[in-house]
Amino acid sequence: MTTSADLAALLARVALGDRAAFERLYRATCGHLMGVALRIVGSTAWAEEVLQDAYVGVWHGAGSYDASVATPMTWLINVVRNKAIDAWRSGRSQRNATVALDDDAHAVMAEAPDSEPQQLLERSLQSLSITSCMASLTPMQRQALALAYYRGLVHSEIAEVLGAPLGTAKAWVRRGLDKLKECLLAAGIESC
Amino acid sequence: MKMTPELLDHLAREYVLGTLQGGARRRFATLARQQPAAAQALQAWGARLGRLGETAPAVQPSPQLWRGVEQRLFGAPAKPVRWWQRAGFGFGGAFAGAALCALLLLPRIEQQKMIDEESLPASYVGLLSDAAGKPTVLASATRQGHRLAVKLLQPVAIPSGQVAQLWALPDDGGAPRLVGYVPGSGKAQLILAGRADAVFAKVSRLAVSIEPAPGGDAPAHPYVLSGACVKLW
Repeated sequence: MTTSADLAALLARVALGDRAAFERLYRATCGHLMGVALRIVGSTAWAEEVLQDAYVGVWHGAGSYDASVATPMTWLINVVRNKAIDAWRSGRSQRNATVALDDDAHAVMAEAPDSEPQQLLERSLQSLSITSCMASLTPMQRQALALAYYRGLVHSEIAEVLGAPLGTAKAWVRRGLDKLKECLLAAGIESC
Repeated sequence: MKMTPELLDHLAREYVLGTLQGGARRRFATLARQQPAAAQALQAWGARLGRLGETAPAVQPSPQLWRGVEQRLFGAPAKPVRWWQRAGFGFGGAFAGAALCALLLLPRIEQQKMIDEESLPASYVGLLSDAAGKPTVLASATRQGHRLAVKLLQPVAIPSGQVAQLWALPDDGGAPRLVGYVPGSGKAQLILAGRADAVFAKVSRLAVSIEPAPGGDAPAHPYVLSGACVKLW
């Protein structure tokens, strides 16, 4: 298990052009980041394309990581999520609509029955110890937040999945974000 | 344009969450590069929402990914020749020639693999027919995809103000589950509540009913279209 401090040290060395540190950073984070990208773009080949772009970006941009703002993993997750969201929406998804998943990755995903967005959200809230603070959100508000975060869906897509008017879906997301900020502040985990 | 801190905060959070899209998304990214207040809001929300991603289960990527990263940043990787070295094949000039050949071939093989994968067929396919038995809706999804492509082979009459709901009917005779809304003609991409292999795991039939309002949990009206849903591979 690589700690946050280890990752921060690796990132600092990557910023100086240390290739060995870069490979260690890759080995320590690629599985997790692959999981993040795969849930958004939905195909292994494509998620790997996103990750390749992301790691190339990390090699060039490691110097811009600021340890006072975010943990290394948080920073990396944001890099990957942004790339995955942009890639998904740039229309490459349509071109690759028939790219299929290889059997190995399929097996891995199938073995994780708790990987649906709502469950991922619940697990995160538990690990951050803000489950009870977030309890005032309705199931739909939580689901809207989870679909946006883990699947990269936009308001209109959330509305479609949850069978709600667009304005309602937007309000659910807003309320979810308001509450999340409030709960993180109350728990004293606003910054790292 | 002068923005209030509250507006910046709201744009930043929707940007990080991903719900800010299109031109607004690009404009905010530009703004964050130019205005410290926007950059600060972005960082704060990045730190908050990034926490939600930390517990997501890992999925191991293929070894080709690291080779691809190395190749893009540092040139061709040296690894593909290793098994030849272990196997004791060729050395000197012959070995160097073979190794060079392997390096030159690798990207092509990978390119070919990508093309082959792109041409793979959908994994789940459904064909729904009307009461007269005429094929009307073709639905397909890749195994792990989050979308169901729907194509109308002939128009369906949907009265104004009503919706055509697509239902997945489980093998075990359990309650139908709402998949999404089908247009009266043309094509649509329905967003699935989960991956196709989860949504259609134990589903052998699909059906469409015309409902007076969206959002119902169960079909309240008879099916106007129905047909088999099969897993091709």
